[in-house]
Amino acid sequence: MNRFRNLLTYALNCIQRYKVRTVVILLCLGISASLFSSVAFMSDGLVKEGALSLRYAPDLTVQGISSGRQTNVPTKYVGYIQEAPGVTLVSERIWGYGNIGNTLLVIVGVDLQDQGINYSQAYPLESGSFLSLVSNRTVVIGKAVSDLLGARVGSVLTILTESNTPQTYEVVGVFDSQSSIYNADLILMNINDAREFFGYPEDEVTDILVYVSNIDALTKPSLVNIAAKEIGDLPNCRVITKDILLKAQETTYGNRSGFFSIVWYVILVAVAIIAFNQTVVVGRESKFEVGLLKALGFSTSDIIQIRLMESLILGALAGAIGLTVGIIYDSILGAPVLRDFMLGWATLYPAFPVPVFISLQTIIFTLAVTIVPLLFATVVPSWLNATSDPDLAMRGSNA
Amino acid sequence: MIEAVDLAKIYNQGKRNQVEAVTDINIAANSGEITVFVGPSGCGKTTLMSMIGQLLTPTQGKVIVDKENITAYSDGWKAIFRRKNVGFVFQHINLLSNLTALENVMIPLLCHDVNPSPFRASALVLLKKLGLEERAFFSVEQLSGGQQQRVAIARALITEPKIIIADEPLTFVDEASARTITDFFEDLKKEGKTILISTHVSNLAKLADRTYTMKDGRIAQS
Repeated sequence: MNRFRNLLTYALNCIQRYKVRTVVILLCLGISASLFSSVAFMSDGLVKEGALSLRYAPDLTVQGISSGRQTNVPTKYVGYIQEAPGVTLVSERIWGYGNIGNTLLVIVGVDLQDQGINYSQAYPLESGSFLSLVSNRTVVIGKAVSDLLGARVGSVLTILTESNTPQTYEVVGVFDSQSSIYNADLILMNINDAREFFGYPEDEVTDILVYVSNIDALTKPSLVNIAAKEIGDLPNCRVITKDILLKAQETTYGNRSGFFSIVWYVILVAVAIIAFNQTVVVGRESKFEVGLLKALGFSTSDIIQIRLMESLILGALAGAIGLTVGIIYDSILGAPVLRDFMLGWATLYPAFPVPVFISLQTIIFTLAVTIVPLLFATVVPSWLNATSDPDLAMRGSNA
Repeated sequence: MIEAVDLAKIYNQGKRNQVEAVTDINIAANSGEITVFVGPSGCGKTTLMSMIGQLLTPTQGKVIVDKENITAYSDGWKAIFRRKNVGFVFQHINLLSNLTALENVMIPLLCHDVNPSPFRASALVLLKKLGLEERAFFSVEQLSGGQQQRVAIARALITEPKIIIADEPLTFVDEASARTITDFFEDLKKEGKTILISTHVSNLAKLADRTYTMKDGRIAQS
């Protein structure tokens, strides 16, 4: 143990003495780790938010299709869908976009008469109360809408319909900011208010939400598949399962973070080359030092251990710096530049904080991807360095 | 006791630039004695010292320490042998920059399975004996050549080795430091250490209990 501690002391001393190498590696690897951790935290946050938003989502969403494009779905399908095997609840929904000022917001109308769906649980509130069961031109708004318009509980919103007719709605509640991204820009209202706003005929809705029996978790996936197949037989409609929605979200954000991953791999390779070069340069400088250490009784394995400890410490330090920068950049600075790329549609929507999820898994992975490449990049120069002839000490630095 | 039997070293053997640095060396060095190797530059003194100290593997022959052939050891065992038994003093001094004199003295302890802290007092005592008590916490760059060589001698002795190998220890040393060092070698001899010194300086040669004169890689006179 004493020996290990002594070698560690020497490794720390080398990190202090070879300042240029230390600074170059910390800087390059720290930047690389900060980019990786920043994107990973955002990507994790977005996927987590997606999963949160889908927690209360229907098992199946039925949409109308015409010439391959999404259209309204006739309400007459509701009766048929209710008869499908395993289906316990069917609810209608109308949604679209509304303009307030120059900002496009999502307007969703839900059927609050469906007692089986607990909307107030699915959309927790920060203030105010949830919508009443009857249509009365009240709305609950997302946090970003509230911040953007300065609207609070009791405020009245004027929204322009597609025919440029202004309609007013009273704000009765504001959503909790916990799952910010998926309800931040949302205006939730009674389905009849939404029908009136969008001018939909009585026998059409945007989509039909289908819930399948939850009694047995093991058999539920089969039930969902059977119901989806049955409902899919309806003409001019498509059935989207919750799994597909989840996968779509993961793919979207995964692809965006994937783009950065490619950039990051390139940076990491560059950093590994820099680390290799630095270690080779320092290796030349320290070759004579190694000869001396060996003359003083250090073995080749001692020297390799010292060099690997240096890499381990530098890698961990760079990883920690990168993580800290990543957290500050995402959580405190709001991830400027990267945020727009990851969210994609942020230029249309009101600004809201980027969802960030700092997981232990990402922290460990970030540390691993800084330490392991550095260890690999320095292991060969370290070995070459460690095999220096101890006779060099006798011959002097010019030998 | 150290014996070298038929020791030879050929650099770049079989190549066009082959050099026979040392040939047919047979010497002996006893405990409690100072054995001195004298001879002109390039006569093979440093190569011989390196082979005796197991820094260099001979092309031929063997080194026997206390009746054991240490030339047959693996590199790992040679490192352990050096760690436990040999203290080196180099012609080029070889201190680590950016460290204090005291830190340099304590470096050899780092490859031992010991806590170096209790040895701090011993290191300070050694530096005091060598007249450097007030320079112990100075960075080695702030010391003169003579002071640096005295730090190197303290470093060679911190692990209390039984063999001291000093290669031209007075080359870059002023007269006052040279006197301190020669006196110190005499004290070490009294402690029973086996001391081997290569030199071309007459005042060190005067200390010798046994002198080998080298020429062209061979012992010309003993």
